[in-house]
Amino acid sequence: MPDQDVLTTIRNDVKRALNKPANQRHWVMVINLQRCVGCEACTIACKQENHTPPGVAYAKVIKEEVGEYPHVRRRFLPILCNHCENPPCVPVCPVGATWKRKEDGIVVVDYTICIGCRYCVTACPYGARYFDFGDNYYEPLNEFEQQASPEYGRRWLRSKRESPVGNVRKCTFCLHRLVRGEEPACVQTCMPRARIVGDLNDPESEVSRLVDERRHFRLKEELGTEPSVYYIL
Amino acid sequence: MTTRLETNKLVLGAYLVALLTVAGVGVWAIAIRAVEGLRVTNLTSHVPWGLWVAFYIYFIGLSAGSFLMSTLIYVFGMSRFESIGRSALFVAIVALVAGLAFIFLDLGHLERFWTVFVNRSPTSVLEWEIHFYLLYGIILLAELWLLMRRDLIRAAEGEGLRALVARLLSFGSHDLSEESAHLDRRAVKILGTIGIPVAIAVHGGTGAIFAVVKARPYWYTGLFPIIFIVSALASGGALLLCITALFSRRKGTADHAELVSQLAKIVGAFLLLDLVLLTSEMLVGLYGGVPDHVATYRVIMFGPFWYVFWFGQMGLGALVPLALIFLKRTGNSPFWLGVAGACIVVGILGVRLNIVIPPLSVPLMPGIDTAYPLGRFSTFAFTGFSLHLLQGAVAVFVVAMVVLLSQLWRIPIPSWERWVVRLATTGAIFVLVIMGLRLAGFAPTTSALFDISLATAPTTPLPLFFGGQIKAQDPTFYSPSMIEWLSSTGVIAVAILALSLGRWLLPLEEPPVHPARAVRPRFDSDRIGTERETS
Repeated sequence: MPDQDVLTTIRNDVKRALNKPANQRHWVMVINLQRCVGCEACTIACKQENHTPPGVAYAKVIKEEVGEYPHVRRRFLPILCNHCENPPCVPVCPVGATWKRKEDGIVVVDYTICIGCRYCVTACPYGARYFDFGDNYYEPLNEFEQQASPEYGRRWLRSKRESPVGNVRKCTFCLHRLVRGEEPACVQTCMPRARIVGDLNDPESEVSRLVDERRHFRLKEELGTEPSVYYIL
Repeated sequence: MTTRLETNKLVLGAYLVALLTVAGVGVWAIAIRAVEGLRVTNLTSHVPWGLWVAFYIYFIGLSAGSFLMSTLIYVFGMSRFESIGRSALFVAIVALVAGLAFIFLDLGHLERFWTVFVNRSPTSVLEWEIHFYLLYGIILLAELWLLMRRDLIRAAEGEGLRALVARLLSFGSHDLSEESAHLDRRAVKILGTIGIPVAIAVHGGTGAIFAVVKARPYWYTGLFPIIFIVSALASGGALLLCITALFSRRKGTADHAELVSQLAKIVGAFLLLDLVLLTSEMLVGLYGGVPDHVATYRVIMFGPFWYVFWFGQMGLGALVPLALIFLKRTGNSPFWLGVAGACIVVGILGVRLNIVIPPLSVPLMPGIDTAYPLGRFSTFAFTGFSLHLLQGAVAVFVVAMVVLLSQLWRIPIPSWERWVVRLATTGAIFVLVIMGLRLAGFAPTTSALFDISLATAPTTPLPLFFGGQIKAQDPTFYSPSMIEWLSSTGVIAVAILALSLGRWLLPLEEPPVHPARAVRPRFDSDRIGTERETS
């Protein structure tokens, strides 16, 4: 089916990956920079999905203006956690509260263990980790903020001293959605379909095809972090 | 004599009132921080470490440096410094506890601090460091106790508070024999020898916490942990120099002047070595031209807090003390050498601030700082009764400090130097009053005085302590919040109180343990304003 929406392809890829033995998955994201229009729908969708407070935005877009009049254009670089093969943020944690999941390569934080020292925030070369200072958009909380964050398949209600307040938070590729066979919120919402998620270990998947066929780069590859987010030029 | 005694009572009273006020407000601020969480700080996800981490490495540095100075005596046998050995160890203990207090304050979940010992993470430098701090603390306590043991037993004979403390601390030891003293000395030497690598691991490791972060080119150099150790030696030595020169019970003797001048030369040498290493780092970093690295130096030297580098780190922390130590005119005067020590102790704080904050404020990628609004300020404000309480405390503190500083006005030193001190004193009083006004809520007045714009200020009164422009929307700009400052000064005040109490109650400056050596004569007539005289 040549005219199939890429979102359907992604869903099929995700379902196929979930049917594989658990330890053979490698979730990656491919972002097609030619398609990105900088609408920041991903930023909003992420905040809605994960109920993140002010100052925490797992997905965001770097916006640049290049060139001089009359040859000016805006350039967009959507960024999120790269779920590195060698994540620099993981070994520094003094309590082992963050790790790279062996089964699918997603870097997670255990809010119940994290002591909030913020060492990992300084160690991440991509600025992908955020500290939950306990700020809120509204005091008292509005209806939306009173809802719990569904991260890690649990319900995290925000209150003054309870986790995840006082913890480091980060993008999980919407793990709670992936296990249900759904794509991450930012992928679902991306209007020009610039974001594609899938299993790189599956040669049939859309992400494998794109990484094989298209010219791509990853951020700060010189640091040896081996990011799992690929940018197509 | 009566006037002097009364003056001393006044000085001691002002000293205690000032410290207790700051400590009390500090405890209050820490309580607020514990209840409210880290939202009362001005930290952001962009600059996640700030004032507290800077103070943490500052105090760990003071501790390690002070301890390493003590090993000069007990391991390398430089017995001419023997009279400062116990002070060095005591300073090391107090500074270590203060440093740990700061890193504790900095945790997002205070109640989980102990899990560091349960949830193992052998790859983390920070976890290794926590263990080294413990081991190091045990070595310090054991060594100091062994050194004081016989004096504690002797002091326990007497009456009063000192004797009571001595009885409690002697832990039932009664052996005053020469063999036991010999054993003590051996044990101290062994402990000191073990302590050297541990202390290097303690502060070199603290440097490694930063140096292993490859995301920040400014930290990510092999020289970084070494600079930590050398600057620790400079700052620890400087603190000892300051205490020995200005507050020693032996003040006024020729021996004392000699000791202080030799100590000052060592501190000066460490400071020079520190400068050499710093220059090397800077030249290599700037030559390489890696954007993040150069940007960090630009922030340090020409950023919003440029004066921390030029006046703090370079002026107060290097040039002024070096001049005081190596100029003939001042290099033999214990007073000026003590001032040099104090300058370094304050100036190294600038070094520590510049280690932590500027590298974090440089964006990791171009545009990442503006991609999403990460800038935030503490919305906490003292209001109503608590504001009045704070204003009262500030007033009490300022009055006490003015009383203390005005004593400096009358310090008995010759000619032009007296006017330098008077000028500095007047300046300090002026700054103090201005800062008191700012803290007490008169920001618009003082900012108008200095033409500082508060146009974009959030609702908080005075998120900025030392002036500068408030940039609420810029996440790369970090200036500590009021609670951060108040809790920090509180911890520092408690540490200074502990040092004073220790020097009052513990036999830290008794005659040398070598029984064969003659006890030096003491001249007590020349002391100014030490607490001993009033008791």
